[in-house]
Amino acid sequence: MFLFKLAFLNITRNVRRSLITVMAVGVGLAALIFLWGFNDGTIEQMRENVIRLFTGHVQIHARGFEKSLSPELFLAQREKVLIDVAANPAVSRITERVKCEALVGTSENSRGVLLVGVDPERERQITDLEDHIEAGRYLEPDGNREILVGDRLAKKIGLDLDDKVVVMTQAMDGTLAGYAYRVKGIFHTGSQQIDEVSVYITLASAQELLGLGEDVHEIVIQLSDRKGIEPFLEWAKISLGSEKYEVLKWNELIPEVDQWTQWAEAVIGTILIAVMVVIGVSIMNTVLMSIYERTRELGVMMAIGTSPSQIVQLILLETLILEGLGIILGLVGGYLVTIYFGEVGISFHGVEEAFSRSYMSTVVFTKVEWPHVVQSVITLILLTSFIGLYPAWKASRMEPVKAIYYS
Amino acid sequence: MFIKAENISKVFQDRSLPVTALKAVSVDIEEGSFTVLCGPSGSGKTTLLNLLGCLDRPSGGRVFLRGEEISALSQEKLTRYRLRKIGFVFPDFNLIPTLSAVENVEYVLWLQGISGTERRKRAAAICERFGIGALIHRRPRELSRGQQQRVAVARAIVHKPELVLGDELTSNLDHKTGSELMGFLKELNREEKMTFIYATHDPVMIERAGRVIRMQDGEVVSDEKTRVHA
Ligand SMILES: Nc1ncnc2c1ncn2[C@@H]1O[C@H](COP(=O)(O)OP(=O)(O)OP(=O)(O)O)[C@@H](O)[C@H]1O
Ligand SMILES: [Mg+2]
Repeated sequence: MFLFKLAFLNITRNVRRSLITVMAVGVGLAALIFLWGFNDGTIEQMRENVIRLFTGHVQIHARGFEKSLSPELFLAQREKVLIDVAANPAVSRITERVKCEALVGTSENSRGVLLVGVDPERERQITDLEDHIEAGRYLEPDGNREILVGDRLAKKIGLDLDDKVVVMTQAMDGTLAGYAYRVKGIFHTGSQQIDEVSVYITLASAQELLGLGEDVHEIVIQLSDRKGIEPFLEWAKISLGSEKYEVLKWNELIPEVDQWTQWAEAVIGTILIAVMVVIGVSIMNTVLMSIYERTRELGVMMAIGTSPSQIVQLILLETLILEGLGIILGLVGGYLVTIYFGEVGISFHGVEEAFSRSYMSTVVFTKVEWPHVVQSVITLILLTSFIGLYPAWKASRMEPVKAIYYS
Repeated sequence: MFIKAENISKVFQDRSLPVTALKAVSVDIEEGSFTVLCGPSGSGKTTLLNLLGCLDRPSGGRVFLRGEEISALSQEKLTRYRLRKIGFVFPDFNLIPTLSAVENVEYVLWLQGISGTERRKRAAAICERFGIGALIHRRPRELSRGQQQRVAVARAIVHKPELVLGDELTSNLDHKTGSELMGFLKELNREEKMTFIYATHDPVMIERAGRVIRMQDGEVVSDEKTRVHA
């Protein structure tokens, strides 16, 4: 207690300098917490965007379909799978799709696309394609000669609403199948992949085109909670059998989000270290100054019997108190700011294009992820304690006689 | 013999030039004695005092305390030695400015691992005895020089050391205050059998010592026992 008191009194000697140090720690930590909050918020929204835009939580295919997109790899025993999946309490919604590579052509142009046959009613409950229609309208349930195209594709091959296009693909039996469709809607999702390469028709017309009958290529599942994905995969492995089916989660279908997450965390990790070094140097400077200013006093303390290790303890304690106050300030400040922008959001409407291309939202809602906060605080404590060792060690190595008589 | 210095010398390295502060000095100090070191500035008084007080190690020669060679001890051991057996009064008092008078005194007891209540009781009692009982919660800068000096002496003797060393003990005090302080010290010397060694220029202090060691250019030039009078 006496040591603590002494350390505390020493800190209050130069209140302004101590305050500046506490602020440096606090602001640095708050900035880190906010930065993590920004990143975690962004990534959380990216995840939801990807899920809502296209993938759902989990998809079931015939094994090998995701890679090959072979039309003949339709889901075996479709009805049984549907019944089994629907019976799982974690599942909230299901839809089915037909997917194949196709050629979309006008009289002048043609282009390779991913043809997706969707059930308009069930699809809109899982993905938000409908919200992205910019011109025209969404597919009618029985709109069997209707097609939706992305704005990029429309531009590339010169399509407008109500234009006629021919879609050609390889049918189940290996023959070339082709139908004419009318463009009923043009969508813009912001995802280059979707806007340029994907076209949508109704499930029924896709089945007809390919000669699939009632069969489909893909079952898309939305669970009541994203946390339920892993347990669902476990369940699917046992219940459906892994040799006939591939059950893929959203981040296996679109790995970019995970890659982005890793990249962003590496960047923040680097910033974390830079901030730590700045904070560390600031603390070290303060403590070194304060030691320098009381060389004589420390010399006297050692002369009358204070051991070098007690001097180390004292100086470390002073460092830790400064740091502790800074951490409290940083935690409270960083938390409040992050929470605030989690409510209000930070708008990036000016740079929409860059954001939407990577599935980001243009309004970022920051989010406090405690593991990241804890990680920042622990790194801060470890690194600055380590840095604090130097002044402490230096102080303890002083020669009392020199300190008392020649300083 | 209580303290015995055998041919101790001290050479300081001042930048690149060696400065010989002490040349082969030998002295014996008896237990319970009251000795003064005097001599011109730069004659080596402080240096000798620090060597006798285990604050520094000699460049040559040996120092014994009760037959134990302290000049050979490690820094850590010397620290413990000083804490248990020696009390220091430094020039300009050198109190810890953030601590109150009583806390300055308490500090030594805390270093010795004495519990809080016991510590405060003993520190307050010493301050009382030195006539500063009413001022114990003041910081050093709120005390007069004479009062600060009493706190410094209280700090030096609160743990009842065997040896008390004082450097320029009264040099910043007026005649009356210095004389009063001397009275206290002589009392302690008599009652507690503490051994005192002082370095000073002050004729009043020299006059009241039991033994006067005169130094010049790092050597002892005279060493005489006087008839002790209080
Ligand atoms: N740490 C040191 N580095 C260099 N020279 C030193 C050091 N300590 C003492 N000296 C030198 O040693 C000599 C003796 O110094 P010392 O302090 O013992 O003298 P003193 O008798 O106490 O003088 P004063 O009466 O002025 O206090 C002086 O010449 C001094 O400059
Ligand atoms: Mg001196």
